[in-house]
Amino acid sequence: MSRLAADLVVTPPANPAGSGFSLEASLAADPGITILFGHSGAGKTTALLALLGAMRPQTGRISLGDRVLFDSSKKIDVAVRERRVGIVFQDALLFPHLDARANVAFGARDRAGNSAADAWLERVGALGLAHRKPAELSGGERQRVAVARAQAAAAVRLRLAEPGSALDAAPDLLLLDEPFSALDPAAREHLGSLLLELQAGARVPFLHVTHDPAEALRLGGAMLVLEAGRVVAKGTPTALLAPGGLASDRLDATNWLRGTVVADGDDGGRVDLGGTVVLTGRLHRAPGKTVVLALPAEEPIIATDPARGTSARNILAGEIAAIVASADAVDVIVATPALLRVRVTRAAVSDLHLAKGLKIFLLVKATSFRVVG
Amino acid sequence: MIGPALALSLLVSALATAVVALAGTASGRLVARSRFRGREIADALCHLPLVLPPTVVGYGLLLVFGRNGWIGGTLRAVTGFSIPFTWVACVLAAAVMAFPMMHRAARAAFEGIDRRHEMAAASLGASRLRSFLTVELPLARRGLTAGVTLAYARALGEFGATLILAGNIPGRTQTLALAVYESVIAGEHNTALVLSVMLSLVSVAALLLVARLSRAS
Repeated sequence: MSRLAADLVVTPPANPAGSGFSLEASLAADPGITILFGHSGAGKTTALLALLGAMRPQTGRISLGDRVLFDSSKKIDVAVRERRVGIVFQDALLFPHLDARANVAFGARDRAGNSAADAWLERVGALGLAHRKPAELSGGERQRVAVARAQAAAAVRLRLAEPGSALDAAPDLLLLDEPFSALDPAAREHLGSLLLELQAGARVPFLHVTHDPAEALRLGGAMLVLEAGRVVAKGTPTALLAPGGLASDRLDATNWLRGTVVADGDDGGRVDLGGTVVLTGRLHRAPGKTVVLALPAEEPIIATDPARGTSARNILAGEIAAIVASADAVDVIVATPALLRVRVTRAAVSDLHLAKGLKIFLLVKATSFRVVG
Repeated sequence: MIGPALALSLLVSALATAVVALAGTASGRLVARSRFRGREIADALCHLPLVLPPTVVGYGLLLVFGRNGWIGGTLRAVTGFSIPFTWVACVLAAAVMAFPMMHRAARAAFEGIDRRHEMAAASLGASRLRSFLTVELPLARRGLTAGVTLAYARALGEFGATLILAGNIPGRTQTLALAVYESVIAGEHNTALVLSVMLSLVSVAALLLVARLSRAS
């Protein structure tokens, strides 16, 4: 069981002095997946490199469980190779001159290294690829091997100290730097399931960097929102990304919705969004599974009467929770009770006399919901 | 004349290349990866033999390694061995002239490695030495091999610095390149032609090897 707690002030050296970017953030992560959410330039990679030990903070403190990895006031700076922090980079970045097994076995220097490597390759479903070079693997396969490589190193080191299963141990902290960004949807789905399985068994934090709301909703139990080097919000992805949540106003006008599959069949699926069951297109997912849906805010139609004779499969009764006006449009936040963001024109607001507390109906086509995670 | 000159040339080039391969890899890695004061000056100094006339380099070597030079004088006082006009002088001159080739190639090769490979290796528990030997060297291999080949070709063709530091003593310090010079001066054009063709063949072979290596990467 280890918990990450970091207070960091980092000015990347590559930045010319005076350009202004610095990371000043407090990051905390319990065992399980914590999403570090932010757009490019927000300081996500700087934070990861500081935790890894590859970039030295000006001041700060990093602790992992009861181990202090960095403390500027006590002049503690544990070397990268002794931190027991694993990393998976955006593009997997396996050693290109080594095959998959040799990559995974790199951190395993004892004679049993190969057997631990094989156990991890099997765990990530890549044992059959052991003899392939990274160039001969698909993007998804490379990422799975990279996850196995990061996990296996610490496993072997710990096993030397206390014999046990090769799979029991893991690094004390696993950093994932946008591991999904180069993958197609099927490979994302596969890697996502793998990460969820691994974190369920591990007792260490996984810090997962992404700017994709669907990925955050699918994987994250907790989320930190990073903007211009500062943590601007923290909470659960569901709360932060819900319409009106702290992170959602910073996104494009899309409803990112996490739900549970109720039913799925040729006639379409049914998803529980937390109190609101909606009809969707075919989901290809078993009942009880988690699903992430995207609904563009422009798609739902607001009606003051329940409409009849429409092709919209969802007619949801709701109440206006808030009206947020921006320069070009107005976003109506509707509690159905699940919150949905609906983008309309100013004219629509005045013609229908929309106001907070008004009871209305939302018309949403089943096909407007896209399955994104 | 041809036999001893060819043998000396091949020996001198091989020894000089061996020295340069180690020194150039070290200097290239240092300039590519380490951040220290005077890094750019160090890099410029490593390029100096490339831009100076070889005679100037030879004269500089004579000042340092000559009978009364800073290093040469001490060496002679301690061991009684004097560098100039020996095969050691040939190796020294060839090595210094070939060094920039290796340095540049090594620097580019190490700069071309994604630094995250080194971070990953360290996060997997590898020491700096292990990371260098098992990750950086294999990844820089093609560039380093090209550097070695170019350095060998450069050492084989060395003339000016060798002439000044080692002289042109047939059978002792006369390399192929010097033998060509002497043949032409003496009007022995057939010998000059044979020697020139031999040098060209070896050099072309070296360049073809470089081309093949860079195409493969």
